[in-house]
Amino acid sequence: MTVSALTRPGERDRLIVKIGEIDWIFCLTLCLIAGAGAVMLFSIAGSSWTPWAAAHLMRFALFFAIMIVLSLIDLRVWFALAYPIYGMGFLLLIAVDLVGHHALGAQRWLQAGPVTIQPSEIMKIGLVLALGRFYHGLSGKSAQLSWWLLIPAILIVAPVALVAKEPDLGTAILMLLTGAVMVVLAGLSWRVIAAGVVGATVMAPLVYFFAMHDYQRQRITTFLNPEADPSGAGYHTLQSSIAIGSGGLLGKGYGLGSQSQLNFLPEKQTDFIFATLAEEFGFVGCAAILVLYAAVIFMALRTAYLSHSHFGRLAAAGVTATFALYVLINGSMVMGLAPVVGVPMPLLSYGGTVMLTVMVGFGLVMAVRVHRYSEVTSGKGSLL
Amino acid sequence: MSEPSIFFAEVNERQGVFHRRAFLLGGFVGVGVLALGGRLAHLQLIETQRYEKLSASNQFNFKMTPPPRGLIVDRNGVVLASNRPNFRLMVAKDKGIDPQSTLKTLAEFVPLDDARQTRLLREISNAPRKSPVQIMEDMSWEQFSAINIRAPELPGVTADMGEVRVYPYGGAFAHVIGYVAKVNRSDLTTTGPNADPILLNPGFRIGRQGVEQAFDLVLRGKPGAQKVEVDASGHEVSTDPAGDIKAIPGKEIVLTLDADIQNRAMEVFGDQSGAAVMMDCRNGDILCLFSGPSFDANRFVRGLTGAEYAALAQYERKPLFNKALTATYPPGSTFKTIVALAALENGYDPRTVHVCNRAWAWGGRVWHCDKAHGALDLTGGIAHSCDIYFYQCALTLGPDKIAKVAREFGLGEIFDIGIPGQKPGLVPDTAYKRRAFKKDPVWHPGETPSMGIGQGYTHLNPLQLCVQAARLANGRKALHPRLIRSIGGVAQPSGAAFGDLPFARQNIDFVRAAMAAVTTVGTAAGLGDMGLGDIKMAGKSGTAQAFNYSTGHGVHGTQGEWKYRDHAWFIAFAPYDDPRYAVSVLVEHGGFGAGAAAPRAREILRVALLKDPEIRARVEKPLPIPEPPPVSSDPDVVDPPTPDPAQQVPAQ
Repeated sequence: MTVSALTRPGERDRLIVKIGEIDWIFCLTLCLIAGAGAVMLFSIAGSSWTPWAAAHLMRFALFFAIMIVLSLIDLRVWFALAYPIYGMGFLLLIAVDLVGHHALGAQRWLQAGPVTIQPSEIMKIGLVLALGRFYHGLSGKSAQLSWWLLIPAILIVAPVALVAKEPDLGTAILMLLTGAVMVVLAGLSWRVIAAGVVGATVMAPLVYFFAMHDYQRQRITTFLNPEADPSGAGYHTLQSSIAIGSGGLLGKGYGLGSQSQLNFLPEKQTDFIFATLAEEFGFVGCAAILVLYAAVIFMALRTAYLSHSHFGRLAAAGVTATFALYVLINGSMVMGLAPVVGVPMPLLSYGGTVMLTVMVGFGLVMAVRVHRYSEVTSGKGSLL
Repeated sequence: MSEPSIFFAEVNERQGVFHRRAFLLGGFVGVGVLALGGRLAHLQLIETQRYEKLSASNQFNFKMTPPPRGLIVDRNGVVLASNRPNFRLMVAKDKGIDPQSTLKTLAEFVPLDDARQTRLLREISNAPRKSPVQIMEDMSWEQFSAINIRAPELPGVTADMGEVRVYPYGGAFAHVIGYVAKVNRSDLTTTGPNADPILLNPGFRIGRQGVEQAFDLVLRGKPGAQKVEVDASGHEVSTDPAGDIKAIPGKEIVLTLDADIQNRAMEVFGDQSGAAVMMDCRNGDILCLFSGPSFDANRFVRGLTGAEYAALAQYERKPLFNKALTATYPPGSTFKTIVALAALENGYDPRTVHVCNRAWAWGGRVWHCDKAHGALDLTGGIAHSCDIYFYQCALTLGPDKIAKVAREFGLGEIFDIGIPGQKPGLVPDTAYKRRAFKKDPVWHPGETPSMGIGQGYTHLNPLQLCVQAARLANGRKALHPRLIRSIGGVAQPSGAAFGDLPFARQNIDFVRAAMAAVTTVGTAAGLGDMGLGDIKMAGKSGTAQAFNYSTGHGVHGTQGEWKYRDHAWFIAFAPYDDPRYAVSVLVEHGGFGAGAAAPRAREILRVALLKDPEIRARVEKPLPIPEPPPVSSDPDVVDPPTPDPAQQVPAQ
């Protein structure tokens, strides 16, 4: 039976109904992308399940289960936990700054026994929840332009500043853009948006010259002119373009990508896995994957569209924006349209952290879908 | 999906704004995804060929395979220069490779002291990226295999088997053949043959001096290429033999030299300084072109240390100098053969007698001879090498007539024998005097007597004297020397194809007879008998003054300081009755020509004669089959068993 706004109260809270409300086509699409990732990882490892493909599939299975469980959690619980999660993430980010684990010149991890925690990932979800919760309680008029908007501004800028300081430019940009998208969706006045765009354009050179590390600046110069130093700084971009371009229409064949198999392609199993796919499966394979990603984004955005609660809308849209930004930034980077920033292709790239973030995010999106008719702050069962 | 209409009816400004802007967001994402698709199409559909090429050039490398250098062999096919396998160790300069620690690790396997490591580090840092620098050569098999086993852990290190030049006879041919050595920066040109990238191949060596230099391009061959699949760090993954380009080996060069004669020349010289040149006087082939003392060309291939080079360069007997071609000396009394022929050609009566009293006053000074020869005719003057006879003989001719004959014998001439380094020397005449002495352009009669005994301005190299001996011996043809017999199987022109000598046969025969007298009754008496039966040598000795005796420096004979002694010359040919081999020997500061040079010339000629099967047959002279005793009816004679007469006839 189809659940609707008119469904008898209580009926929607039954577990079986909730499970039925999960968008299984959406789930299937996620499985297809993660499966494609495993197929590529198997190829890159020289037709071997180890070290990547098997781990990738097992992680996905675990995180998929977590997503399903999270999707059953009442949206009011998510709402109630929004600020606590944000607050915990923020504290952990400060902790990283103080005692974090150094790796590759950056300080991104916290070691808690066997578990490695990357607070910036918690913060991606926390920021979406916190902004959703804040705007949920704000009138449309105030959301356009008011002193209240200082609060979302601080909510966004504070963690972004901490993440950028780690330094993790990719995640910082991702969070900043996600926050900006949510503020716009919440109804920010167009005049402010225009002013923001102008301001960002003006600020960009200042940030470039005063706030960036040398290696970050170099990445941007390299992006603008990759052929200047093909074996040095431009190497990633050039080799990635070669891998993609040499794939042609149908690709070189599974397991036959010389760029990735012979290690010309750097980070082939993580950030540049899309180039491997492009090399071995060609334009046809790439287009298929892009269609799957587009499908995921549109299904998630539609969930936001369908939600009756403002919190649900904004939270689902925020997660969708994060995911879409991942795809677009990684795609542009791999294809030489953007400078190299450490942003993986979600679900396709090897790596547990981002996959967990994305799957938790989709758990939230599914929770929004399952509870799309729920009242969040009033009525029966309200937590606050 | 049947969504209730209440959805849109909800009066909620925030929702309306969200919906509109979510549409916009979807639109943006759609545009973004389409842009990615467009970029993909651009890379994969439009520019794919360009990237396929780049990918292939990433994946495949063509590794140059150096061609084997052409062999150099003597007239009988004896190898004088060949190639031997060489286990080499190389380190490539590439990112991610720390040459310092690599060398430290390698030092555990091969001897690499700190000084050498420092030098190699500098070499590596100067080398272009990815071009390997040779660390060691001639590793033992144990070292080679130990490094090859460790190779996967040693990025940038390769141990391979190349080839290196080897000269089996070491020093005997060093001046003729030259050697190969490492390529210098100055060898690399942007155009011409030396722009060839093969020169940058580690271990490649370029010809220096002699045949190796003159025929470097012929010997070098054309490099091939091996198609190898490499990974990003440059390690070979696999090879593709189908894609290989075969190297074309260098051409073989056959010299006219004979290894046995040349080696004997080196032996008879010992540590003496000088040169020996032998020619076949029927066709001009140079059978021996030796300069001593020599040096081991193999050490130059390996590379000399500064101390080794200094020792060679500073030795007073000048081993690095090819004295057979590059050094000129006064010919001394050997020149009397020329003066005599010139005199005969100009109607001089050979019976003219001059009396030698050891001193002869003429032109306001006293002219000396080494002893009082008494009354001599022309033959006696040559045989006993009387200076006083030839002072006077020369005065009847004047410099121009002598010089004309000298030039007909190739004196003062540079011959095209294929290798560089010949010095023409000088045959003086009045024109020379006019040309070279601006303040005193007149030939004074007092300069003629010196010229008559091969002193004064006259300076010649040993090759020219050998050509003179060969032309005298041949008697007819103006032979030219030939050193290169064939290149890659293509025969080079013979030295006999240069026309005839413009002299009367009987005049040449007269000089030859006088040369025979030299080795029977003259200065080199007794040396004409070579111990080879009736094969005799004819020749002419020469003792050329290196320093003026009157200044107190010059020393006659073998006393006194080596560098002030006279040069010893001997030119000869044999067999006298049917000349085949002509030789010139110079022993620098050797004292007397007959004492230092003539025995050496005789030894070298003996080898040539003994190697000649026809001469050998003549020397060994198999006992003639005894005449069968005439069939006699004398009853006293015991009849041997009578052979069948039918079989006997052909035996006679």
